[in-house]
Amino acid sequence: MNRRFFLKSGSVALASIGMTLSAPSFLERVVMAREASAVGGRRKILIAIFQRGAVDGLNMVVPFGESNYYNLRPSIAIPKPDPGNAETAINLDGFFGLHPAMRSFKPLWDSQQLAIIHACGSPDNSRSHFDAQDYMESGTPGVKSTSDGWLNRYLQSKSDPQESSFRAVAITREMPRALMGRAPSIAMANLNDFTIRAGKASANMQNGFEALYAQHNKDLVAGTGREAFEAVNSLKKSNPAQYKPENGAVYPTTPFGNSLRQIAQLIKSEVGLEVAFTDIGGWDTHANEGNNRGQLANLLQQFSASIAALYQDLGQRMDDVVILTMSEFGRTVRENGNRGTDHGHANAMFVLGNSVRGGKVYGNWPGLKNDQLFEGRDLALTTDFRDVFGEIATSHLGATDLKSVFPGYHLTRPNRLIR
Amino acid sequence: MRFLKQIATFTLILSIVTSQAVVSFSKTPRLTDEQRIIHVLNRLGFGARPGDVERVKAMGLEKYINQQLAPEKIDDAIAETKIHDLSVLKMSTAELYEKYPQPNQLIRQLQNRGMLPKDLADTQDPQKNPRDNPEYRKLIQEYYKENGLELPQRIMAELHASRILRAVYSERQLNEVMVDFWTNHFNVFAGKGADRWLLPGYDRDTIRPNAMGKFSALLQATAQSPAMLFYLDNFQSVSPDASRGRAQVMMNEQARPRRGINENYARELMELHTLGVDGGYTQKDVQEVARCFTGWTIFQPRGGVALNARNEERMRRLPDRPAGTFFFNIRAHDDGEKVVLGHKIPAGGGFNDGLKVLDLLAHHPSTAKFIATKLVRHFVSDNPPPALINRVAAAFTKSDGDIRETLKAIFFSNEFYSPESYRAKVKRPFELAVSAIRVLGADTNGGPGTHQWIARMGEPLYGYQTPNGYSDTAESWVNTGGLLERMNFGVALAGNRIPGTQVDLTKLAGANTEKRKMIDDSLKSILAGEVSTATRETLLKQVDQADPIAKVVGLILGTPEFQRQ
Repeated sequence: MNRRFFLKSGSVALASIGMTLSAPSFLERVVMAREASAVGGRRKILIAIFQRGAVDGLNMVVPFGESNYYNLRPSIAIPKPDPGNAETAINLDGFFGLHPAMRSFKPLWDSQQLAIIHACGSPDNSRSHFDAQDYMESGTPGVKSTSDGWLNRYLQSKSDPQESSFRAVAITREMPRALMGRAPSIAMANLNDFTIRAGKASANMQNGFEALYAQHNKDLVAGTGREAFEAVNSLKKSNPAQYKPENGAVYPTTPFGNSLRQIAQLIKSEVGLEVAFTDIGGWDTHANEGNNRGQLANLLQQFSASIAALYQDLGQRMDDVVILTMSEFGRTVRENGNRGTDHGHANAMFVLGNSVRGGKVYGNWPGLKNDQLFEGRDLALTTDFRDVFGEIATSHLGATDLKSVFPGYHLTRPNRLIR
Repeated sequence: MRFLKQIATFTLILSIVTSQAVVSFSKTPRLTDEQRIIHVLNRLGFGARPGDVERVKAMGLEKYINQQLAPEKIDDAIAETKIHDLSVLKMSTAELYEKYPQPNQLIRQLQNRGMLPKDLADTQDPQKNPRDNPEYRKLIQEYYKENGLELPQRIMAELHASRILRAVYSERQLNEVMVDFWTNHFNVFAGKGADRWLLPGYDRDTIRPNAMGKFSALLQATAQSPAMLFYLDNFQSVSPDASRGRAQVMMNEQARPRRGINENYARELMELHTLGVDGGYTQKDVQEVARCFTGWTIFQPRGGVALNARNEERMRRLPDRPAGTFFFNIRAHDDGEKVVLGHKIPAGGGFNDGLKVLDLLAHHPSTAKFIATKLVRHFVSDNPPPALINRVAAAFTKSDGDIRETLKAIFFSNEFYSPESYRAKVKRPFELAVSAIRVLGADTNGGPGTHQWIARMGEPLYGYQTPNGYSDTAESWVNTGGLLERMNFGVALAGNRIPGTQVDLTKLAGANTEKRKMIDDSLKSILAGEVSTATRETLLKQVDQADPIAKVVGLILGTPEFQRQ
């Protein structure tokens, strides 16, 4: 943990009377005392990624061992694995395979850093994008009146004595539902925007505001303003404009690739990030979904290559990071008249990290025979998404009060996803 | 709180190191006459424009308040002119569906009818998401242009503009404040399904005509509004006993994704619109109220363009009504006996079941208390004084829920003019943006350039997802990201960098004005000169004689003082 954050308010107060951080030795001692008493251990980080629009989980993680998969999807099925043919499913365990466009995930699977939970999702049978996203982000399927998100409730449930302004950050234009609530969190489309923006006069204006906000000691607005500038300045030190990914990582030059790149940057600048969130849309493939090539393939390629780049870029830091992907519901097993798929039920999720027990597809597989389908059309659900979220909140982030994070829900079957 | 504790520690250290006292502007035991006027302009409206304080002084404060309470008698020609060209505001929902169709739905309909132009059909690339196909997008744009169509995004852009323009220019300031208040109280999210086509009607036909009338009328209007019926799912709430086939034909395919009763509206109606969460209802009441509202639905909730060929054929057999309008579908209604809050509602009531529930709720003592609390919180203080709440609730009950009479109980109370409430409420982003535009006498077209700032600061209009609406207390709005954007907004506005909004700062101070005068004149115009000595001294230190006035104004708009009203 960076020392700056022990001085959260103090540093600004000092600056206002014309001293620098390094000057007074008595304050140094205050800092060191606090540092020593702080809870030890490295900060664990969760990166949550929402695939908005409902990804077709059955073409993302292909149950090629099911003959009905091929019966019901005459034009869009992913061909069975054929080691000599790169346009076939990538064999994972003899029954499931990855979409061939996701080959960048294969090494992570082989090194057991990538886990999959299949037939997973929300127990509510809503097929509305809005409602289902809402439920997955609020963490309370079927209950619409929940005003905060599950990630925010996690933050509320665990007070952090070293809390920084960047504890929870969404790289999105607006605050996502999952992070809404009482615990402070920031949403920004671009790290470079988190500053005073006045062209050439930016530094000058910032100095002006900092001086203004250094007044009014007891005022809530002024106090928060001081926090804001402290955050701005610590971010500036990490020099976001000059960021260079490490370990040869190359992020796709797409908005999603760029979002993940910025998350890596925030993590490396050690500004106290604990929960990061971002999203990627375009999954609502009602028409011309494609098979090993096409619309979905292009999107899956971008999705997996971006995450793989993030993994590579973070290197050893992935010891403390878990990446979790989600989507509001799955899609129909049967392809429709427009060579696409309609809104379905259960789906697949990815969990990645050095601490993840990877190389395994978790969850009971309900089968795809006609009489095994949910409401006669969809992949049935065997894992409640809260089992996955809850396990990561406890085993990875160290949540102790899961009841407040997922009110009214008791974790049923821990998968032991985290080592 | 953690933060405040740390501040306290360091304040202690500071006071040892330096004797520099932090002066906060003194709270007098009683507001001056001018402060009372400023307070009324801030709370009953979106802040003073240049000259407003003098105008109210000349007219008399009491007269001004009474005038604001009767908006229908105030001439509002300027605001009407400003919104004149926003055609969305005048169109029916059916016309909006026709003119602003969703491209995918339109293409599908054209395809179904075999009417898809060949060039469009040819450029459809199955390999690509249409969003990533520039050629296809261009052709769609051309098709829209040739056929006099516009993209649906335009609807919300015009509705946003109308709200901004009216808040900035309307002489009926209190009316606009109440429109904002009720729109938020009866929140609807534009991003949910068909709601963006339904919201112009919601603003025009549901909220505005009732914003200063009787609460019971407003409540009934929202209950029957397609926007609310869609947002809280009541349009698809069907009695499980309803004969399946018939109810469906009447409802039409679009309203049929889930069969059975949907309790969503019933719950929020009591929790958020009337009684309040502790207002004395049970889960059983929620279920009974939901039964009463079965069959309150929308005809063609997504418009004719969203129908597939089979349903188009079906719809032809139905009575002709405009798409997107309320109707009571008796076949979907549960007509059995219900008991709501201890009152028996006999079987066979049909449409009247819902009306009875609304009447019960509008006149319930918990509703009076709940509405009074929200109003006092909005107009007076984040911590509403209980004695005032009781008096306001009594005024609500005595006047049969007359909104004007209820507001009077607030505006003529001592608590309203208490020094503790003066410049104490933190402005919400919409209030901040509009008050800044007004105080500078800036000119705006209310376009996306301005709305984007309101959104960045955290309050996109019609952009709150959940039914509880935006918070009305400081702690929800004072956070690092939001505060930074507020400062950036001030800088952008003063620097004339907001597209569609222009400001002429030479009105505040001419060229070559001496720095001290430039600062004092700006402080006087923007904050009536009411800032701490420390703030003024800091400005004097931070501003050079060579600096443009835009810097001074940008800094003042970003001060902690200007964030409050």
